[in-house]
Amino acid sequence: MTAAPAGSRPAVSPAAAAPPPVTRMALAVLALLGVLVSLYMSLYKLGLIPEIACGGGSCSRVQNSPWAMFLGVPVPFLGLAGYGALLAAALFGLQPDRQDDRRISIVLLAGAVLGFGFSLYLTYLEAVVINAWCRWCVASAIIATLILLAAIPEIRKIGRSG
Amino acid sequence: MAKKKTQGGSNLKPFYIILGVVALLGAAAIGYGALRRPSAAVEPIDLSSLDARALYEKAKGVGLGDPAAPVQVLVFSDYMCPACAYFSTRSTPLLKQEFIDRGQVQLIYYDFPLGGTHVHSFVASRAARCAEDQGKFWEYHDMLLGRQQDWSYSREAPIGKFMGYARELGLEESRFGGCLRSDEHAELVSANHELGEQLGVNATPSVFVNSRKVSSPNDWDELRPAIQRELGN
Repeated sequence: MTAAPAGSRPAVSPAAAAPPPVTRMALAVLALLGVLVSLYMSLYKLGLIPEIACGGGSCSRVQNSPWAMFLGVPVPFLGLAGYGALLAAALFGLQPDRQDDRRISIVLLAGAVLGFGFSLYLTYLEAVVINAWCRWCVASAIIATLILLAAIPEIRKIGRSG
Repeated sequence: MAKKKTQGGSNLKPFYIILGVVALLGAAAIGYGALRRPSAAVEPIDLSSLDARALYEKAKGVGLGDPAAPVQVLVFSDYMCPACAYFSTRSTPLLKQEFIDRGQVQLIYYDFPLGGTHVHSFVASRAARCAEDQGKFWEYHDMLLGRQQDWSYSREAPIGKFMGYARELGLEESRFGGCLRSDEHAELVSANHELGEQLGVNATPSVFVNSRKVSSPNDWDELRPAIQRELGN
C-alpha cells in the first residue's frame, strides 16, 4: 500500500472510517421485531401455537376473515418474508464496504415503502371492512411506519451515489 | 484492508449483541406461547365475517339416529336454557321412541350458546364436544342438561363440575381436561352459533323439521304432527 500524498484525500473510504449508520441499525432492529411478530402469527396460522395472546382485541376474527389471505398466501407468511428480506438487506448494508452501496439503499427504501403501503391497506381493512382490531397487526403497522422513517436517510444516499 | 474490516466489525459489535439479545428474547417469548398450557376458552369467537361456504365447512352438528332417515330434525340448543333441558329430558325421549328408533328421524344437535346471562353455555358446549372426542357426546349432553341446576349458578366457569361428569362417564380424564382447558372446539361451537344466527335462530331450543321451523318445539302436539307431515302420514 502506497502512502497518500500530502494534502490529498485519505486512502480509507469515508464509510469505513465513519461509524456505522444508526438509522440502518435501527432499521435492522425494527425488521427483526417485524420478523418476530410475523413468526408468532405464522406459527398460530400453522396451528403450532394453540392460543393467540390478544388481550381485548379480536385477533381470531381478523385471522379467520377472508382478508387474512393475500393472493392465496396467508398475510403473516408475507410479513415474515418481507421483514426477513429487510433484515437481511439492512445487515448486509451495515458492512463497512457496503454502507455507500446505492443498490442496498434502493432495496431498503423500496422495501420500507412497500411494507408501509401494505400495512396501510391492512389497517384500512381492520378499521373499515372487518371492523376488528388485532394487536399484533397494529404492532406490525407501527413497526412498518418506523421502518419507513428509518429508511428516509437512504434517499440522500441514493441521490449522492447516483 | 484487514484493518479496515476489523475497525468496521468492532464498531458493529455492540449492535450485534443488542440484535442477538432481541432475537433471543423474542424467540423465548414465542417458545413460551407455543408451549404454555392455554386457559379454557369460555367465550365464542366472532365468526360473523366468514362467508357462507367457510361457515358451512366449520359448523358441525351431532347426529342421533339413522343418517339416511327421511326426516332430519335440527335442534339449536343452549346448555343453560331451562327449555332446552325440558326438550332434552321430555321431548327427545318421545322423539326417540316414536321416530328415531324406527329409523324415521335423525336428530341433529347444534350448539347455540346464547351468551349474556348464560355465561357458562359456551364452555359447556365445548365440554360436550370434548366428550364427543371420546365417543360420549350424547351421554355428556344428557348429563349437562339433566344436572343444569348443579352447575349453571357457579360464579366461575364450572370446570371442576365438568371434570367430575367426565369421570362419572368413564372418560379419559387427562385427555378430557386437556381439551377443556384449551380453546379446542371453540371455533366449531362458534360456527354452529353463527350458522344458527344465519338461519334466523333467536331463541332456544329452536327446532327445524326438514328445514321448517317449529314454533313451539316443546309442545309434542305440534312437533309430532310436523314430523308426521314430512313423513307423509
